[in-house]
Amino acid sequence: MEMDKLGVVTTFLHGIVVYNIPLLYGTVGEITVEKSGSLNLGVEGIMAVGAIFGYLVGCWTNNLLLGILTGFLAGALCGLIFAVLTVSLQANQNITGLTLTTFGLGVYFFVGNGVKAVSWPAMNDYSSIKNGFADLAVPGLSQIPVIGQGLFNHNILVYLGVVIALAMWWYLNRTTPGLRLRAVGENPGAADSVGINVKRYKYLHICLGCGIMGVGGYYMGLNMSGSFSSSCWINGYGWIAVALVIFANWNPALAILGTFVFGFFNTLRVSGGSLAAAFPDTLGWLGTVPSQLYQALPFIITAIVLVVSSIRQKGSGQPAALGLNYFREER
Amino acid sequence: MRIHIVKRESCPIWKRLLYYLAAVAAALALGAVLLMAIGVDPVAYYWRMFTMGMVGNRIAYRAFENYLKVFVPLVVTAVALSLAFRMRFWNIGGEGQFILGAVAAAAVAFQAGPVLPQPVTLILMCLAGMLAAGLYGVLVAALKVKFGTNETLLTLMLNYVALYFLTFLAETKAGWNFFLDETSARPIFASFSSLASFPGIPIGKFSLNVCVILAFVIGALVFFYLKYTKHGYEIAVVGDSVGTARYAGMKVGKIVLRTVFLSACLIGLAAAFKVGTAGILSAAITDDVGWTGIIVAWLAKLNTAAIFLVSALIGVLQYGSTAAAATFAQVDSSFADMLQGAILFLVLAADFFTRFRVVSSGKGGKSNGNG
Repeated sequence: MEMDKLGVVTTFLHGIVVYNIPLLYGTVGEITVEKSGSLNLGVEGIMAVGAIFGYLVGCWTNNLLLGILTGFLAGALCGLIFAVLTVSLQANQNITGLTLTTFGLGVYFFVGNGVKAVSWPAMNDYSSIKNGFADLAVPGLSQIPVIGQGLFNHNILVYLGVVIALAMWWYLNRTTPGLRLRAVGENPGAADSVGINVKRYKYLHICLGCGIMGVGGYYMGLNMSGSFSSSCWINGYGWIAVALVIFANWNPALAILGTFVFGFFNTLRVSGGSLAAAFPDTLGWLGTVPSQLYQALPFIITAIVLVVSSIRQKGSGQPAALGLNYFREER
Repeated sequence: MRIHIVKRESCPIWKRLLYYLAAVAAALALGAVLLMAIGVDPVAYYWRMFTMGMVGNRIAYRAFENYLKVFVPLVVTAVALSLAFRMRFWNIGGEGQFILGAVAAAAVAFQAGPVLPQPVTLILMCLAGMLAAGLYGVLVAALKVKFGTNETLLTLMLNYVALYFLTFLAETKAGWNFFLDETSARPIFASFSSLASFPGIPIGKFSLNVCVILAFVIGALVFFYLKYTKHGYEIAVVGDSVGTARYAGMKVGKIVLRTVFLSACLIGLAAAFKVGTAGILSAAITDDVGWTGIIVAWLAKLNTAAIFLVSALIGVLQYGSTAAAATFAQVDSSFADMLQGAILFLVLAADFFTRFRVVSSGKGGKSNGNG
């Protein structure tokens, strides 16, 4: 009996990670974009585009790597649209981002419905995709009781997400191009005057960041085994990622922790009932919390973080020139 | 040869229109290619969409009534947002403000509807909607003025707080939840159309909802407010330069608070119009007007008259695609979303050429150090 209860905890921990790592991709991607000074509100749409094309190409070629690549490229292509419009053509970032969301969701459903009408690929029919997405245990760590199986026995995209987040932290904080990128986001005029090619930095990092979001979208599709329905696979994760960027204070390494926190609420919503059933004395109240509160919590917490950090006025990782276009002739 | 970009002093209106028309035409052409690829005749589809299925339809007046139901909340929301945007206050919380306004208006309808005469109930609904939305908006403005909180991100977060509050009301069956239908075992919203509903003015078979007239009145008032009042002038100065406004002795904080409150109030009014016409709440009550309104206001360059025009066109796109889907089963509303996106991308691109000129500065050009 006691073992069963611990099993519930393990399943719960496993659920937090496996269903919420796409948030980490979205967040790290958005941090990359925002560090260049661009506020891209198109995360939801970009993830949707990455999801649908990644899934279709991955299945049709029966190759997980090609799926990941396609997700990346599809996302990066959306990023290119954003970059052309906001960096070269000086369009408003908020408007362009919101349009990208509408457009991306439109593409997702248009392509999805079209493919569904012909024949929809089911993930289980594609052995390489199915096996490639299977869990791989980390030797040693996965043997830790209770948490080992929950945290260290996951599919390859979970590990990739964590590696990307850590690599991005290292890139931003420990390399020269990362330093220059941050300079572009803080003060593009000053960066330009010391010889940094502002446009090139913005283009590259917008596309890179959006590509990472696209991979996150692909992951969402795999999580659902690709079953296509009337609601989008991304299901608001893109917007949570925008919030998570703030919660993580624009720090990709902190985003891992933030993903875990937001994922915790998300998982409580889905399987809080099983925790309540396993520990009726201590956690029984979990069953009575309305699920919408869990859904709203990431946004409530982020709103509080925003307000508190603006009151404290220091230590915020928000790039100073976030959301402002850079027009060289106006320097 | 090097090229560089110079700001235009001005761009003649015909040239601007030409650019925009070319952008829309290009987007429609792209859409046509896509339609042909899936075996749909683009001419027939576009005809059906832009006429909103009204040609050769014996109940075309119904279609037009429904179109106006899409148009009114959108145009009032966009006009409202333009007030805040004029001060460069990025209120992207239209969705959240609309939701709270709708919930407050519906609450009044349920509570006051049975005891008060209908016109009084309707007026109270409007006031409640305005107050709820206005307070939700001014909260952010106050934080922005006091602490410099980023209003774009904060209003974005508050949208989702309001959204999940609405879903909570929609999905929670309880004694206190008077929004739901008591006779239904499953949680569904109750209708209050018998208690309070905005009346229509019959013109032949067609019934013109008073909200349409009110929307035009609001548009005229906002136009007048911005152009001919001291408040409107202050908004313009703050939008141009906060420094100048301060130097001129204007109380910038007060102006921001007042204008954002007004902006959010009008969004609440749009919500009251919407629920007062529909006679029922729904989890998707906003129809995304909080998002679309932002795009409309921006495309119209925050010009009140242009907002009416752009809203009317976007409304045609949205309502027309639903109408066309009845005939063309293989093209659902996702095509309209894509088309809308493509149109906006290209219009944003065209906009660049109305604001800037690309000039070449001869071979070699001026050297700027690092090439």
